[in-house]
Amino acid sequence: MKKALLPFVLLFLFSPEFIQAQEDPTHYLDSLEKKYSGLKDYMVDVNVHFDIEALKAPDMQARLYYKAPDKMKVESRNVFFFPKEGGYFNPSLFRKKDFDARLLERLTYEGRRAVRLRLTPSETNRHQQGFVLTIDTERNLIREISTSPSEGRAIRAVIGYGEFSDFELPVYIELHLDIPSVEPDGMKQFGSFGQRPKRITGKVKIAYSNYKVNSGLRDEIFNEAEPPKLK
Amino acid sequence: MKLLWLEVFKTFSRWRTYIAFGFIALIVILTEIVMKLSADEIMLRMMRSLQKDFLIFGNLLNGWFVTAFIMNSLHIHIPFLITLVAGDIVSSEATSGTVRLLLIRPPSRSKIITAKYLTSLFYTTAIVLFLAFMCIFLGLALFGSGDLIMNYATQFRIVFIPEAEIPVRMLLAFAAATWSMTVVASMAFLFSTLAENSIGPIIGTMAVVVVFFLVGNFPFDFFRALSPYLFTTYMIFWQRFLDDPIPWQEIARSAIILGLHNIGLFLIAFVAYNRKDIKS
Repeated sequence: MKKALLPFVLLFLFSPEFIQAQEDPTHYLDSLEKKYSGLKDYMVDVNVHFDIEALKAPDMQARLYYKAPDKMKVESRNVFFFPKEGGYFNPSLFRKKDFDARLLERLTYEGRRAVRLRLTPSETNRHQQGFVLTIDTERNLIREISTSPSEGRAIRAVIGYGEFSDFELPVYIELHLDIPSVEPDGMKQFGSFGQRPKRITGKVKIAYSNYKVNSGLRDEIFNEAEPPKLK
Repeated sequence: MKLLWLEVFKTFSRWRTYIAFGFIALIVILTEIVMKLSADEIMLRMMRSLQKDFLIFGNLLNGWFVTAFIMNSLHIHIPFLITLVAGDIVSSEATSGTVRLLLIRPPSRSKIITAKYLTSLFYTTAIVLFLAFMCIFLGLALFGSGDLIMNYATQFRIVFIPEAEIPVRMLLAFAAATWSMTVVASMAFLFSTLAENSIGPIIGTMAVVVVFFLVGNFPFDFFRALSPYLFTTYMIFWQRFLDDPIPWQEIARSAIILGLHNIGLFLIAFVAYNRKDIKS
């Protein structure tokens, strides 16, 4: 009887589902952390292109400063809209200690091996939100980030990379938005009978160029008086 | 031409003509000071729809935004200020008893009524230009310059206009606003031609403007069906110059419809004045 069951047990033990269940997916986050552990700071020129029906705006340019682990500053001479989520590359956003990870699937992404992970904020995590990451496991790159739907909001970021000073950093981030609209207070105007869309949908494409990596950005840069900013 | 300048001189010799300018100055100064003091609150309310998902940098509450914000009140107080003069310009001659004296002078009735009408339009233009001057120069002095963010709240649309394009667009917007207001002037002028006192034309014109605005903006299908037939529907076409892309066809259509109103109202006034019995 035992002998008869053995093949089934072995089959079960070596099945992809079982291996998937046994594997600790946080090691993918670990690999990402290690890969970018040498990235102390960068500054980069950004060009934001909006393809959103509810927001008619020309391309906007600015210079973005980042310093590990989570300092960010945007410098622009003009009015500048920048997506709050997924707008810039911050490798320490997905630290192993901040999330509980679950492997959702293995897949091939643009011809390379990849995994899809669901990240749930750990108890000590200041982040309120969970994510689904698609990670290119051959190059240890986050290729897609999706926010877990909350309050009817869905944001998906698709990231393309280039190599700058030995680091693979984004050359573009394409954000796909599907978020509910919020009607501004006290801004009713005469003469507008247009049907108000219920959601903001569309794409925001952020292109990055002229990276300067690990140039030793001072903390003071991030404390200097900034142009008015609404958070 | 001489007759026109005499009418202009006569109009601008009256103190009541300057009520409008004083009122506009007061409103603009008060509004801009209050906006300056509550800048954060205004911006938070204005950008509430975007700030949950976007970081917003730069000087949004600038002189151009303040100007566009105040221009939205054109519908309410500027028509009233226009009627103060346009509703009085013909009827005051009857009230003060100078109409007979005026009409026995060599200039024909047609010339007199045309000169008075052109004076009403001149005054209307002066009012709107004064508003533009006050809004823009005080706004830029207090709030500085920058890109213009137009929030079409009821349509849930935000339009971004680069700073370099704004002066030309504002010029066109104020020209369109002036054109809109000439219809109010024409209506007040017609009522003034028909009446023997000034109160009737002023109240009558305001009643028409307010009722048309309300009817045209009630969110019911019945009233929506009526709105294309109300001239007030087209009076906000100046806003289209602050849109992206600029809907030129819609602008041309509105301008033509308002122009036809002007012509129609003036022709009725012209005929009525020429037929007016001043002997009784």
